[in-house]
Amino acid sequence: MTYRLAVVSAGIGEPSSTRLLAERLAQATGQALGGQAEIHVVALRDLAHEVANAVLTGFPAGALREAVDTVVGADALIAVTPIFNASYSGLFKSFFDVLEPDSLAGKPVLIGATGGTPRHSLALEHALRPLFAYLRAVVVPTAVYAAAEDWGGQLTDRIGLAGGELANLVAGTPKPVRQDPYENVVPFEQLLAGNG
Amino acid sequence: MSTVLTLSGSPSPDSRTSVLLRHTQEWLVDQEHEVLTLHVRDLPTSALLVANTEHPAIRHALGLVRRADGLIVASPVYRAAYSGLVKAFLDLLPDGALAGKVVAPLATGGTQGHLVAMDYSLRPMLSAMGADNLVPGCFVLDRLIQLAGEGGAMDSSALAAVHVALSQFGAALGARHRLPVVA
Repeated sequence: MTYRLAVVSAGIGEPSSTRLLAERLAQATGQALGGQAEIHVVALRDLAHEVANAVLTGFPAGALREAVDTVVGADALIAVTPIFNASYSGLFKSFFDVLEPDSLAGKPVLIGATGGTPRHSLALEHALRPLFAYLRAVVVPTAVYAAAEDWGGQLTDRIGLAGGELANLVAGTPKPVRQDPYENVVPFEQLLAGNG
Repeated sequence: MSTVLTLSGSPSPDSRTSVLLRHTQEWLVDQEHEVLTLHVRDLPTSALLVANTEHPAIRHALGLVRRADGLIVASPVYRAAYSGLVKAFLDLLPDGALAGKVVAPLATGGTQGHLVAMDYSLRPMLSAMGADNLVPGCFVLDRLIQLAGEGGAMDSSALAAVHVALSQFGAALGARHRLPVVA
């Protein structure tokens, strides 16, 4: 069976180290799943305008709607943000503000972040992990932080470790049963009756 | 008299955050402070979210922060943290932009449980940004703010709590003026 991995990158540079980390994490997870993974990358930078509109209107539209469906429908999520001011970026947070609160419940998630210095590595534990805990996602124990000087060496080991944890979690998690929102509609008579 | 910037991180113009800020602004004007206002939602969205600080509207907004002696940062609590919108704007500030300014966080949220969102997310973020004069601020429950009627209304107990927080903010602003300028 093939697992669908959604990869959300909030990197804003071109090229982006955040996106690079996100893709490395996805590859590691895919390898740990024996190559039975489809990887779908959502680059929030390209959706910034739609994300902002959705924050204002409350409804994701267009390409953002597809991105939301990709994330919500995936078997697992890899979410990576640059760290600004010791926390996730505003773009990253805005995307998760737009998702329906229950849409990530029970979803296996791997969190990662990039930063200029190693000083902010705990932002993963203090900002990202509580966010996904609130959303009732299941976050793997190993989070991956990459500072500018970390590329290569131990970072590769940690990416492998985290990817392995996510793969184990995904393989052991039953496929989510996607409910058709139109399957159980409230009958019109009942809606009208409520208006007395 | 000081110059105070009120910063709203709510995506909606008719929000509880707006009602809270309107009362805050009235208090500030009563105390004869100059009030500057900034609604993050009014900034050009793409420029904001991809950190384009060259955009004229963003530059103007950053100028308001520079001019202010004090900042009121107001955000609704979303997903147990500050809104992405308010974070997007604060991310654009240069290092040390909040140093020496009095900063008060204000937050509105649906349950009392979200009170800690201020202490666990908004305050540490402002602190990490170099806000070295951070006063307690205030959390107000959504149900104590009514949107109906012109400009909305606040429950008297909530308003009293906001006034206590603003008094602390005002006192810190006053003390700031009495401090010798560090060269």
